[in-house]
Amino acid sequence: MLAVISLIFWLLVIPFCIGLIPANFISAEKRSPGFVLLSGYFGMWAIFELAAVPAVLWVEYNNFKVASSVFTVLTLLGAAAGVWLLYGNKKSGRQGLIWGNARMPDFQGVTSNLKAKKDENVRNVDRSRVRAAVIAKRFLTGAGVEWLLFFALLGFQLYKAAAFTSFDGDDAYYVVESLIAQEAGVMYRILPLTGGSTGLDVRHAMAVFPMWVAFVSVRAGMHATIVSHVVMPLVLIPLTYLLYYEIGRALFAETAGSGEKQSAVNGAAGSGGRVLHKENLPIFMILMAVFQIFGNVSLYTNETFFLTRTWQGKALAGSLVIPALFWVFLQIYNKGVRKGRTDAGLWILLVCVNMTAGVCSSIAVFLVCILIAVATFCLAVAERDWKILFKVGAACIPNVVYMGIYVFMAYSYLLK
Amino acid sequence: MWGIFLESVVIFKNYMGYHENHFLAGIYLFVLLYLWLTEKDKRRRVLFVYAPTLILFLFFCPLFRKVFVRLMEDSETYYRLLWLLQMSIVSAYGLIRLMGKHRRIGLAVVCLAIVACGDYVYDSEHISRAQNAYHLPQEAVDIVDMIEPEEGRITALVPADLIYYVRQYSTDIELPYGREMLIARWDYYNAMYEAMEEAEVIDTPAFAELARTYPCSYVILKEDREVREPLTDYGYSVYGQVGEYVVYKDMTL
Repeated sequence: MLAVISLIFWLLVIPFCIGLIPANFISAEKRSPGFVLLSGYFGMWAIFELAAVPAVLWVEYNNFKVASSVFTVLTLLGAAAGVWLLYGNKKSGRQGLIWGNARMPDFQGVTSNLKAKKDENVRNVDRSRVRAAVIAKRFLTGAGVEWLLFFALLGFQLYKAAAFTSFDGDDAYYVVESLIAQEAGVMYRILPLTGGSTGLDVRHAMAVFPMWVAFVSVRAGMHATIVSHVVMPLVLIPLTYLLYYEIGRALFAETAGSGEKQSAVNGAAGSGGRVLHKENLPIFMILMAVFQIFGNVSLYTNETFFLTRTWQGKALAGSLVIPALFWVFLQIYNKGVRKGRTDAGLWILLVCVNMTAGVCSSIAVFLVCILIAVATFCLAVAERDWKILFKVGAACIPNVVYMGIYVFMAYSYLLK
Repeated sequence: MWGIFLESVVIFKNYMGYHENHFLAGIYLFVLLYLWLTEKDKRRRVLFVYAPTLILFLFFCPLFRKVFVRLMEDSETYYRLLWLLQMSIVSAYGLIRLMGKHRRIGLAVVCLAIVACGDYVYDSEHISRAQNAYHLPQEAVDIVDMIEPEEGRITALVPADLIYYVRQYSTDIELPYGREMLIARWDYYNAMYEAMEEAEVIDTPAFAELARTYPCSYVILKEDREVREPLTDYGYSVYGQVGEYVVYKDMTL
């Protein structure tokens, strides 16, 4: 029970509270619980990189314990700052950090609907039956059936992740690294494959995602292998679909009645009428789920990595970090009430996503740089906005620093 | 340069699974073409049309591949560049545009197409029902429980099919060699591995002598593993058996 409470605290409460910080710096209409949680996760991983990479490189003894302590302090401070911003917003009467302009889900609607029906013609019918009928009607009309189908697909993937095991030889490295950190309190100083001592393998050592898994394991008091193989998929698979949901929300944002008018505002007048209507959001989610389940066309696709090696940093890079760049880029030019100014929170998020790439794998840093360079160049040409090259370039400074340290550590023997 | 280009083509085909008659890439390329022709929103064109096209161009560009491999010091991971295409997201978006207002029938048709062109991940030979919360073979867990010391660490010699799992359960068990010996293309050499796995019949005297140099407190062999002479003649005793694995303890240590 204590383990579950600890997991909820470190995997839900803390990232959510941290996510309130970037949420404070974006326009209200872009805020959502999904934005808060996702940006909180990226923020938390960025903090972990700041705590763990220096410890790996420059602390010789008990480096995991040092990194864990620093990370704990920094995340708690970050979470406290988020809660303080939430409180400040509420006190000053501004729009909420979590829901922004959107109203809370209309739970009251069901009840009032229920009341009306009861008054009219169903006085003698049992209240719970009416409630079930109303809920069923809501689900079976509109997009309810599609949402049910999506959640069935998601549930199926979670069931498979928990009840089935996926063999991958790389676990002999990554999972054992997590376990060594948990059991011996050191990072990357013991050869995971055999147990002998080893020098620093910079390429793997700077990608500290297994150490974050170890941190969660220690805090929850669970074996790192169980956390890797069971807890991580149960957390990261829904988190990835939350990101796809947010991407879908950015793509299919129109509401009934807004139609062509809003399309024109978004510059999508010719994009196909009701195509961008938000009724298509569950369709998008179903297609994403089906693509993941049937994307195993080879061992190498990011879809295969996502469902068979969910707990490895490189899978996280392919399924969460790279799509997150799509998400950020879709929103960067979607100007909110800040009238022409791009939301600072999105730039904070972009920096955190870049840093998360370094947490996942060294190659991921290079990959996100390529995607960012290509997309930014095209955006700059399309928008005639050359300033964006400098802004995005500034957001990539963590990647440059990461690669600089990588090159320095990898080739420092040449200086001796 | 032409040779490097052809290598990239092979990597692309392997990634997309053409050789196993999978054609999700066909859906993706069709959608990309469709978006080239129909997407009018310039920001979405950037993300869903221009960027993927440029990345595909870079992927096949020999000069880019040379730079990538030189920087990463690794040619085996070049395929990961294709992750930047995010085929699922681009395909799903394009297909929904293509469906127009025929949402439900379109969804059914598209799902059928994905199923037909893709491959079901859960029927992979690498996926099986989990035997415990660790998602490790129960035999590996039982063997480690049997030999794990209360304090300190020991070295154990285990068959190749347990090598991946032993240290995922307990890092108090050290191994004379690890997974690196099982990847043929890495081309490592280890005398203990040769004696344990490559020899048709284990040469017991040389094997025991070598194992004691580590020193291996336990040797685990499959019960049908051929040995020239029983290990029990060379200072080992049968400590226990788990499934098909016999656990020997070195009584001289």
